[in-house]
Amino acid sequence: MKRFALVALVTASLVALVASGVVPVRPAGAARPYEGQTIRAVVNAEYVKYSLSLVEKDLLDKLGVKIETEVIPADAFVAKTLLEFNSGTSPWDLVMFGPSNMPDYGRHFEPLENWTDKLRLEFYMDDIADVYKKLMLRWAGKIVSMPYDGDVHIMFWNKVAFERPDNKKKFKAKHGYDLAPPKTWKQWDDQAEFFHGWGWDGTDRKLFGAGASYKPSGSGYSYHWWRARFFSYGGQYFDANMKPLINTPAALRALEEIVRTMPYYPPGVMLFESEEPKTMLIKGEVPLLYSWTSTGKRVGNPAESLIVGKAGFGVVPGAEIDGKIVSRPSMTPGRAMAVSKYSKKKEVTMKVLEFISLPDQSLKIVMDPKTIMDPWRVSHFKAPAFRKLFPGADEYLDAIQKTFPLVVPDPVIPGADEYQRKLSFEITEALAKRKTPKDALETAFGEWEKITERRGRDKQKAAWGEKMAEMKAIGIEYRADWAQKAK
Amino acid sequence: MAIAIEQTAVVARRVRGYRLRRGVGHALTYVGLAAALAFFLGPFFWILTTSLKGNEDFFAFPPVWIPTEPSLSHYTALFTRSSGARYFMNSLIISSLSMVAALSVSLPTAYAIARWRFGGGFLSAFLLMLRMLPAIALIIPIYIMYKMFGLTNSYLGLVIIYTVVYIPFAVWLLVGFLRDFPIEIEEAAMIDGCSRVRALVQVVVPIIAPGLAVVALFAFIATWNEFLFAIVLTGIETKTMMVLVTSFTTGGTDAFYGEASASVVLGVLPAFAVAFMLQRYLVKGLALGGTKG
Amino acid sequence: MRLGALVLKRKRWEPFAFASPSLALIALVILFPLVYAFYLSLQNFDLSVGPDYEFVGAKNYVEALFKDPRFLDSVWNTAVIIVPSLAVELLLGLGIALLLSRVIHGRPIITALLAIPAMVSPVMGAMAWRMMFGVKFGAINNLGLQLGLLDVYFDWFSSPALAITAVVLVEIWHNTPFMMLVLLAGLQSIPQELYDAGKADGAEGWRSFWYITLPLLRFTMAVGVMIRLIDLTKLFGLVFILTFGGPGGATETVAFNTYLVGFKDFRMSYASALSYVIVGGVMVLTLIFLWIQRLREARAA
Repeated sequence: MKRFALVALVTASLVALVASGVVPVRPAGAARPYEGQTIRAVVNAEYVKYSLSLVEKDLLDKLGVKIETEVIPADAFVAKTLLEFNSGTSPWDLVMFGPSNMPDYGRHFEPLENWTDKLRLEFYMDDIADVYKKLMLRWAGKIVSMPYDGDVHIMFWNKVAFERPDNKKKFKAKHGYDLAPPKTWKQWDDQAEFFHGWGWDGTDRKLFGAGASYKPSGSGYSYHWWRARFFSYGGQYFDANMKPLINTPAALRALEEIVRTMPYYPPGVMLFESEEPKTMLIKGEVPLLYSWTSTGKRVGNPAESLIVGKAGFGVVPGAEIDGKIVSRPSMTPGRAMAVSKYSKKKEVTMKVLEFISLPDQSLKIVMDPKTIMDPWRVSHFKAPAFRKLFPGADEYLDAIQKTFPLVVPDPVIPGADEYQRKLSFEITEALAKRKTPKDALETAFGEWEKITERRGRDKQKAAWGEKMAEMKAIGIEYRADWAQKAK
Repeated sequence: MAIAIEQTAVVARRVRGYRLRRGVGHALTYVGLAAALAFFLGPFFWILTTSLKGNEDFFAFPPVWIPTEPSLSHYTALFTRSSGARYFMNSLIISSLSMVAALSVSLPTAYAIARWRFGGGFLSAFLLMLRMLPAIALIIPIYIMYKMFGLTNSYLGLVIIYTVVYIPFAVWLLVGFLRDFPIEIEEAAMIDGCSRVRALVQVVVPIIAPGLAVVALFAFIATWNEFLFAIVLTGIETKTMMVLVTSFTTGGTDAFYGEASASVVLGVLPAFAVAFMLQRYLVKGLALGGTKG
Repeated sequence: MRLGALVLKRKRWEPFAFASPSLALIALVILFPLVYAFYLSLQNFDLSVGPDYEFVGAKNYVEALFKDPRFLDSVWNTAVIIVPSLAVELLLGLGIALLLSRVIHGRPIITALLAIPAMVSPVMGAMAWRMMFGVKFGAINNLGLQLGLLDVYFDWFSSPALAITAVVLVEIWHNTPFMMLVLLAGLQSIPQELYDAGKADGAEGWRSFWYITLPLLRFTMAVGVMIRLIDLTKLFGLVFILTFGGPGGATETVAFNTYLVGFKDFRMSYASALSYVIVGGVMVLTLIFLWIQRLREARAA
C-alpha cells in the first residue's frame, strides 16, 4: 500500500511538473516551436512576395510558421502603410520598408534589443556590410530592422558591343578616343549616341543606345538616374541652412544632359521601372546600363539572358575633376524588414525576422535571379556558390564591393518620400518636355521649400544637419565649382 | 403595247435603282456596324486570347493572335498565387450585399414618391446634384470616419457606402416602374384588409419583379466596377477585383501579363452577363446612368 | 366620397416612414461627411505632419486657386480631355445609333454587344488598353510592326500630346456606347408618322434627318452631353491605370491630382478644399450649360 502511494505521489508530481513546464518533455530546441502560427507581412512588389516564398518551406519546417504576404504596389506603399501606422494600428506583423524612409517609419517599429536576450536571437551583425549597417538599421539609436535587399547601382555593359573591331574602328574615327566602357558621363553620352539606331551586335536590327528608368513613381526612378550625375558634379541635397541645392548649376547640367540624350534611349523609357531596361540589356538590345545590382543575376541566368559570359561589370561613370574621376553611384532605398510595434505576435515575428536574415537563408534570396534582392552580407560576397553562379559572377560581386565606399544615399530625413517624389516628378516633366530643365528644377526647389515649411523648418534642419555630417564624413559635400570644371 | 412595255421597263429600272440604293445603304449600315463591333469588342477579344496564351506566344514575333496552345494556366496562377479567388469572392459578396441593401431601402422610398409624391419635384434636382459630386469629395471624410469606427478593411464599410451612393439611381428607376403600375390592384388588396406594407410586398413586388431585377443587376454592376472607394477602404482581406488589377501595373505589364489579362477577363464577366440578360432594358436603364456608381 | 379614396386616405406619417431608411442613410453617409469635409477644408489637417490641426480659414482655397500650378495644370488637362471626348462621343454615338435604328433583325443583340464597353469598369477597360499599348508586346505595336506601318517599337505615352490622345481614345471607347443608348432611346421616341408625313412632302434620307430627326433629338442630346460632361469631370480610374497621370503630369485630371494630394501627401484638409473647388467648378459648368440650353430653346421657340 505504501509503495503504491509513493509511486502515485511521484507520478502525480512528475505530471504536475511537466504540466507546469518546468521539466521539458522534449529536448530543448524542439522542432517547430511556433507550430501553426501565421504572421502577416506587407511588401511592395510581387517580386518580394516571391522572394519570401523561397524560404517558406524551411520556415515551416524549422519554426512551423507561415507567412501571409500582402502586396501593396510601390506607388501606394508608403502612403498606405504610413497612414495605418500614423493612426496607431497595423494589420501587419512583419513590415518591409525602404530604409531611406526610416525617419517616418522608425518610431513604429519594435527595437530588436527588447527581444534579443529573451529569445536568444542571433542576427550576425558583424556579417553585415558597413554601408548597410549605417543606413538600414537604426532609429533613435536603437536597432529596429534588418536589411533585406541591398540596393546600389553599378554599371553593366555588353562586351560584344565594345569588343567588335568594327565598332572600335567606327568609334575611334568618330570620337578620337578608344572605345571602352565609359568612365565619365561625357563618354557615356558619346557612346549612347554612337550605339543608337543600328546593329552594333553585328546583325541588322535597330538597337538602342543605352538603358535607364525614367518613370517618376514610388521613390522615383528618374531621380535616381539623375542623381548619379548631380552628385558627381558636386551636388548635394540641401545646404547647412536647409536651402535646397537642387536648382544649382550642377543640377541643371545633370538634367540638361539627360534631357538632351533622351533620343538615344529605347521607346517607353519614361514608363520604365526597374525591370524593363534590365530585360533589354540581357536580350542584347542596349549595350549600356547602370542599375541595381540584381541586374547581374538576370545577366547570368541562362534561362532568359542572351549575354551570359559576355557582360562586363564596373562602377558607374563619374565626372572628371582636376584629372580625377569622381563617381557617385546611387544607393537607393533598398529594403529592410522590421517588426511592427503594434503587432500582437511580436515574439513569433522576431523569430521569423531572425530566420530570414540568417546568412544561408538570405543568401538563397539574394542569389535567385527571379527575386530582385541584392546581396548585403559580407558572407554573400564571399560565398563560393554565388561567386561561381555564372561566368563573371566574381567580377560582378567585386564591382559591388568597389562601389560601396562611393555611394550616395537618399536624403534620409522626415518626409524623404515626398521630397524625392516631388523632385522625380519635375525631372520627368523636363524629360517629357513639358517644362524646360531650368523651370523644372525651380519648381522642384519651390516644392521642397513647401515641404520643409509644412514639416517645421527647424525640425528638418536639425535632422538634415546630422545626415549632412554623415555624408561629409565619407567625402560628399557641395562643391559649387565642380559643375563648371567637370569634364 | 410597246409603250406599256417601255413603261414597265422604266419602272423596273427605277425599282432596280431604288433597290440598289437601298442595298448599298444596307451594306453600308452593316459595314458600319461591323466596324463599330470590331472597335468596341476588339480589346476584349485580345485580352481573352492573351489570357489563354499558355506558353511564350505573348512574346512571339511575328505576333501570334490566336493562342497555339490555349491553356488556363494564368487563371490558375491568378487564383492561387495572387489570391484571385478570394478577391473575386470579395467583389461578389460586396456587390451582392449592396444590391440587396440598395433595393430594400430604395423600394419604399420610390413607393413614397410614386404614390404620394413625397418631396415634390425635389428628387430630380437632388439626383442631379448627387451626380455632380465626385467621389473624391466624399472619400476623405469617409476615410477618416471609417478609421475611427474601424470600418476600413471590412465588407460592411464598403457595402454601406455603395448602398447609399446607389440609392438615388435605384429610386429614380423604381419610381418609373411604380408609376406604370396600376393603383387599382393595390386598392383591391387593401380593401381586402391588407395593410399597405403587406400590399406592397405581396402584391406589387411580384408584379414589378422584372423591373426590380433590372435595377438589382445594374446596382450589382455599378458596385462591382467601383474603384476609388475600393482602393482606399479595402485591405488584404477585402480587396476587390478592381483593386487586384492595380497590383499588375507595377513592374510593367509584361512581367505578369498572364495574370493581368486573366484578372481583366474576370473583371468584365459581370458586364457581359448582364448585357445579355438585359438586352431589352439596356436602353432605358443604362441611358439613365444606372451603371455608374 | 368613394370607397377607394377613403381606404387610401393616407396616414400622415406613412410616406416618411417609407422613405426614412434611405433618408437617414443619405444624411449619415453623404450629407454629414460633406459637411465634415467642408469643416476640414478650413483647417490645416496634414497627416504627414501629425494629428493636430488648427483653423486657417480660406487659406487652402487661396492656395488652390492661386498658388498651385500643378492643380491648375490638372484643370487644364481635364478640359483638354473633356472637349474632344464629348464631341466624338456625341457624333460617333449618333452615327451608330442611326445605323442601329435602321437594323430590324437582331437589334437587341447588337445593341447589347455594343453597350458592353460602357458597362465595364473604366479600370478594366484602361488595363486592357494599357496592355494593348504596351511597347514591346502590345497589340497595337505588334499589329503596326506586322503590317509594316512601324519599323521599331513605339512608345504611345512618350509625349504629353500622345498620352492625352491615348486617354481620349480610351475614354471614347469606354463611353460612346452610353451616348449611343441615350440617342437610341431618343430616336425610338420619334413617332413614325412624322417621317411618313415628311416623306409625303418629299423629305427623305439626309433631309429627313436634318429637318425631322435632329430637332427632335436636341433635348436628348443635351441631356446626354450634360451627363457625360459631369461624369468626365470626375475622370479618375481610367487615368490611374492607363498613365498614372504621366508622362510627368501631362494626364493628371483634377480628381487624380486631388487623390494624390490626399492619399500620397496626406494633406487631408488641402485635398478637401480641392474637392470643393472642383464641385464648385462643376456646378458653375452645369449652370452655364443649362443657361445656354435655355437660350437656345428660347431662340428656337
